[in-house]
Amino acid sequence: MSQKRPGVLLIGLGVLAFLAVIVGAWRLAVTIDDTMAFRAPTRSAPAVAETESGAADQGWTPREQALADEAAAQAEADRTKPYVEAEYRAVPRIGSRVAIWVVAQLHLLFAAFVLAVPMFAVVVEAIGLKTGDKRYDDLAYEFTKLLSVSFSLTATLGAGLTFMLIALYPKFTNYLMSVFSPTFLPYVLLFFAEAAFLYTYYYGWGKFGPKLHLFLGIMLNVVGTGIMFIANAWLTFMSTPSGVSENGALISTWDAVSNYTWMPINIHRIIANLAFGGSIAAAYAAYKFLSAKTQAERAHYDWMGYIGNFVAMCGLLPLPFAGYWLAKEIYAFSQTMGLTMMGGAFSWLFIIQAVLIGNLFLFANWYLWLAMGRIEGAARFKGYIWPLLVIVIACFAVWATPRSIIASTEEIQAMGGSSHPILGFLGVMSAKNTAVNIIILATFVSFLLYRRSNIIKTTARGAGIVKILQGLLILASAAIVIGYGIRGYFVDAATRIGFSVPQVSSVLFCMLFVTMLDAYLTRGAQATKTQWGRIRPISQYVLILLAVTFTWMMGLMGYLRSGLRLHWHVYGVIRDTSPDAFTPTLGYATKVVSSTVLIFFLMIGFVFWLAGLSGKKVGAEEEEQADAVANSTLGFGPAGAPATASASNTATASAASPPPGNRP
Amino acid sequence: MNTWVILGAIVALVLMRLRKPSMLTWAAAWWVAMFAIVRYGFTVPVPISVVKLYMGLITAGLVAYVLTDEERIEQVCQPVLAFMTQKRFQLPLLATMLAIPALFAWSIYAGMTRDPQAPAFARTVHPAPPDEITVHDNTVSIGTADNPYRALEETDPEAFGARLANGREVYYANCFYCHGDIMAGEGMYAHALNPIPTSFQDPGTIAMLREAFLFWRIAKGAPGLPEEGGPWASAMPAWESFLTEEEMWNVVLFLYEFTGHRPRAVEEHH
Amino acid sequence: MKIPITLQIALLAVGMTGFYTLVGQAVPQKEVHPPEVIEVAANVTTAELVEIGRTVFEGKGICQTCHTIGKSGALRFPDLQGIAERAARQRPGYTQLDYLAESLYEPDAFIVPGFVAGMQPANRPPIGLSDVEILAVIAYLQTLGGAATVTVDTKFVYTGGAREQDAAEAATEAVADAAGSEDEEPSDLASGEAAEAEAAGDRAGGDDG
Repeated sequence: MSQKRPGVLLIGLGVLAFLAVIVGAWRLAVTIDDTMAFRAPTRSAPAVAETESGAADQGWTPREQALADEAAAQAEADRTKPYVEAEYRAVPRIGSRVAIWVVAQLHLLFAAFVLAVPMFAVVVEAIGLKTGDKRYDDLAYEFTKLLSVSFSLTATLGAGLTFMLIALYPKFTNYLMSVFSPTFLPYVLLFFAEAAFLYTYYYGWGKFGPKLHLFLGIMLNVVGTGIMFIANAWLTFMSTPSGVSENGALISTWDAVSNYTWMPINIHRIIANLAFGGSIAAAYAAYKFLSAKTQAERAHYDWMGYIGNFVAMCGLLPLPFAGYWLAKEIYAFSQTMGLTMMGGAFSWLFIIQAVLIGNLFLFANWYLWLAMGRIEGAARFKGYIWPLLVIVIACFAVWATPRSIIASTEEIQAMGGSSHPILGFLGVMSAKNTAVNIIILATFVSFLLYRRSNIIKTTARGAGIVKILQGLLILASAAIVIGYGIRGYFVDAATRIGFSVPQVSSVLFCMLFVTMLDAYLTRGAQATKTQWGRIRPISQYVLILLAVTFTWMMGLMGYLRSGLRLHWHVYGVIRDTSPDAFTPTLGYATKVVSSTVLIFFLMIGFVFWLAGLSGKKVGAEEEEQADAVANSTLGFGPAGAPATASASNTATASAASPPPGNRP
Repeated sequence: MNTWVILGAIVALVLMRLRKPSMLTWAAAWWVAMFAIVRYGFTVPVPISVVKLYMGLITAGLVAYVLTDEERIEQVCQPVLAFMTQKRFQLPLLATMLAIPALFAWSIYAGMTRDPQAPAFARTVHPAPPDEITVHDNTVSIGTADNPYRALEETDPEAFGARLANGREVYYANCFYCHGDIMAGEGMYAHALNPIPTSFQDPGTIAMLREAFLFWRIAKGAPGLPEEGGPWASAMPAWESFLTEEEMWNVVLFLYEFTGHRPRAVEEHH
Repeated sequence: MKIPITLQIALLAVGMTGFYTLVGQAVPQKEVHPPEVIEVAANVTTAELVEIGRTVFEGKGICQTCHTIGKSGALRFPDLQGIAERAARQRPGYTQLDYLAESLYEPDAFIVPGFVAGMQPANRPPIGLSDVEILAVIAYLQTLGGAATVTVDTKFVYTGGAREQDAAEAATEAVADAAGSEDEEPSDLASGEAAEAEAAGDRAGGDDG
């Protein structure tokens, strides 16, 4: 009975949402702005005429005469009304900008999810194919089940966005279309191809040969990435236009496509999508874990959450570096824009971002530490957790320290300016770069400890030396990062910017080599069992917090990318002359972002609920038993399939096979 | 950095560790120690906004630390539970329950009744001088001019001494009421003025400036100063109305002589 | 009493977004408005021009995004304190007015030693100041370490006036312009600055690609 409660709740919510939409649409239709070009202006009440000229001739009362005059004037005005192209149309109450903002952000979030899920579905499927472990295949299928609904939602939101752009920003949209019209046909074709691949991939599960099926999955990814690249061209053009004249006349479509930030955004988005999709999948698993009834389910969703989080971390670690590249290209395009971003109106946004990223790393590490609970051998690494925690918190603090501090008059007098004589050192780029690199290293070490915890005895030759080498590599990388960080205070700006390259590459090389050494070390090693499902529930809440933070961060950075244009539609080319041309305060922006994030979670909750439904059969209650037996033979059933206690033993047995996360 | 506060915090933590405290005490001790360091550990106090930020992070860290281990949670929850359920804690519990809303009320009250603060503004003490000024129908280029009598210091010490004597007379007849008898900006009228008169003993003032800059400040005084760097309400008179050009150059010589500072040389430009 | 999982998660999500919204409210709140249209009457005085220039400097010209007034230390762009004085002698052969005008219209033509190119021409988008607005900015800049001398009728080389010494321009553009002959060492200067101008041109070319 209690199982059904969330479902009933969701249906109730859905009905409520539907009613809200109907009422909202009706209200919109009633109160819609009179200036919208396709609507006749509402007529004002006829005024009482004051003149009496000509009224006596026809025996009309003055009032009748006035009414007749007014009607005639109106008819004449209607007949000769000139056609004026509307530049902007308004959405009542919230304004066009917020309407577009929210819809675009929702579209982007769903698009990110739709692009990310196939990425790791295919990887997971490939692992399953290689290892022959059925669980991977099931996991990939479970991910893919989320796809079809998300795909249609993405498309719907995209269509909504397009219509809204045409209706609300007709002139600007027209301009963008004139520049990018050659890209529309490929876009549409790719879109068809994506739909084709997606549905064949989904419905063809287990029906095609595994190789062919995998190929479909890969093609789905290729086509999806292609679509994203085209859409990215449109939006990066708005921020960093090229290929057009000063007046906006098109010179070269290719130049317009391959503008300064196109490639950086492409790469950045691929990586961020992966991280985002992973974290959403992990949150889904967390939800399933928390509402699981049996040990088998718990084991399965614990494992799924782990994989999702692992994917998210793989995306998160290189993300700051991709971000650097993007910022570098923005500076290369226009120093003014770069400085607006880092030092001007948006500099405080990066303090908010620091809180978010700090939280991401804190949550990620925390999850790993909690996850050690499921491994027998992890107890010996407990002592390492608190130093890592101190490092993470310290780096977080450095990163969140603002350069110019909010302070009262007395405090400013005491500091002799808006930067603190000691903390001021933490506010500059050298300190921030060092902090982010160290925090990445710390997260990597946490992960290494997690991997290491279930190794009891290594069989590799020279294991001791390899371990020492690993330690030295990590220390050396940390030393390089900190060394350059300190030297950064003593050199000029141009040299200092260059320092981020050795810092970043030392961390990347360290991670690469240490992972390789670790693979060597753990090969054939004697391992304990990972007891999937034996994890404290709090870890699952951490996973959900991670997903919320990821989503919120995407919303915030989307605002930054878009807001950087200030009062331009296309930076330096097409001016924004609408009432919304100003840049709102960060407080306002964060409110919009938060609303968008909550709407997104409502919608994705709906997707999860649907995906759960598809796993259930008609008359689930009667067939529960049969289902459970079928599931137990397969290892794991589809999402939401209720399994009874009788099935749990078999399921646990298969859950206790070697931990999947430890296979490189 | 305030070494004693930091040392004290560390020593207190170490002493506590030796007594093997329960998790709750330990976490609370860390919180207090970190607060002491952040709030009082710096010679120049850290602004409240940053203290809040850091303490938020430290709290998050401590929560993460406690929640990572079953035993620690137990150790933290047990005393809290005991406090909330056991009979002997009834009175303190009541006090706490009253204290929490009272604390909120107090913080709101304190916030509402705080004295209004004047907005901070930055004032440029030594604004950039104009290219040239006209004193007694004579044009002086601030950028390049030097004290016409500075050369006498080497070539004719006697004449230089006479000029210094004249400068001394001028100073004590006119300037010392505000700038003080030892040029420390502490003349008898100084305390009535805002901004306060410049102390020439301060190595950050005339030692960093060229003589022509001083000549400009003396001749033109506060009126008509460039606007940059915020409002200026200096009471410095325009001495060109009272002194000859020669007297003003002489007093500049005397200022440097008395304080022992050397004027900044004219920068070479290529 | 156990809270349903769905509700727990919903509360968690709302709480977390609420926290981030709160962080968003804690930072300084500033709205950035698009620049207002500035009307410059034909008969403004120099003092009024300075005031207009200051408004443009702080607003539409977005000068303060990069430039500071009265700051020292590691700066990305030159500080403008005392610029009027420096402008007169920064570049041999350039009057103060010509120097200021060139830095606004062709910022890459001469880069102050120790800095890198990065300024956009003030008369072109995205800054897009009109000639008279630039004149007002010049008037304002002249007050930083000097006195404003330009009037609304002042012409300089970009607005149809004449540059007094035009050596670099003449050399790079290979225009036979006799104006350069007044210089003391015309050949040296011309070649040196031509090289610099060329280098600046290269940089600009690189930016376009």
